[in-house]
Amino acid sequence: MPTTDAAYRALIRLYPRRFRDRYSDDLVQNFTDLVDDRGVRAAWARTAVDLAVTVPRYRLEAIMTERHSATVLSVAITLLAAAGLLSVPIGFYPGIVLLPVAAGLAVAQRSTLARAIRTPDSNRRRRRLTIAGVLATSCVVATTIFVLDVRGEEHWGGKVVVYNLIFFVTLIGAIAYLTVGLLTPKADQHLASPLP
Amino acid sequence: MADADPLSFLPLPQAQFHVLVALTEGERHGYAIMQAVEASSDGIVRMGPATLYGTLKRLVDNGLAAESAHRPVAGDDERRRYYRLTGLGRHVCAAEADRLAGLVRITRKNLRPGLA
Repeated sequence: MPTTDAAYRALIRLYPRRFRDRYSDDLVQNFTDLVDDRGVRAAWARTAVDLAVTVPRYRLEAIMTERHSATVLSVAITLLAAAGLLSVPIGFYPGIVLLPVAAGLAVAQRSTLARAIRTPDSNRRRRRLTIAGVLATSCVVATTIFVLDVRGEEHWGGKVVVYNLIFFVTLIGAIAYLTVGLLTPKADQHLASPLP
Repeated sequence: MADADPLSFLPLPQAQFHVLVALTEGERHGYAIMQAVEASSDGIVRMGPATLYGTLKRLVDNGLAAESAHRPVAGDDERRRYYRLTGLGRHVCAAEADRLAGLVRITRKNLRPGLA
């Protein structure tokens, strides 16, 4: 029995620190009760499914809801996008692949799943305006890099296509997020649709 | 949190509603809640430890449930934490029950008109 408990206690380390700091003893106690009540095999069968479902969910939740983690992720996305942009002027064209990676991460960060597990105190308006700011900054940076990159060159080649793409995507994104952000109420309003 | 509108929490996720229903019978510790949920759902809803405590965390953070200082069972393991419904949790649970009852009425009316 202690071996079983020890194994579960080790697996609890997979959960985010805040969750396990608050509940690790309760989780082990609960697991022990389950083993005593249902037997080792049944307890593990239920707990294995529980682990498979809740570890990624609580990890993602920690990333999405903890202000610090969310900031780190936003910075990482910005750095990836910047590295992708910089790869063009230095001639390392495969580096452009970092741009869709950054875009993918940004989409994941704002996904329906992420929003679904977000705690009700999220401030959508602030988030949307922040994204608009990041996109506008990316647009300005891309334009600046383009001007510096092609200065003195007579034939711009394929660079102009890449830079135009980045310019218009970031510009349209910034305008869209700015518009939606300004139209979003300042405080979140919970949706309620009680039946009559 | 105390003046929050109960309707703003609806629709309540299934796991949260089951736990609130379990707590309407009185203060319970984690494993007792797990057993109560299983019993009230005829064994259909079987929570694992982390699902249960994740749900309790949300309920406590939203002010729908609270840890109880009172220990209803004398001589129980002191490490066990007991939980109870708050006033807001009681209102939210009732509102969700009304919402589901409305849904059941509509379903019965549409699928089995004679029984409505």
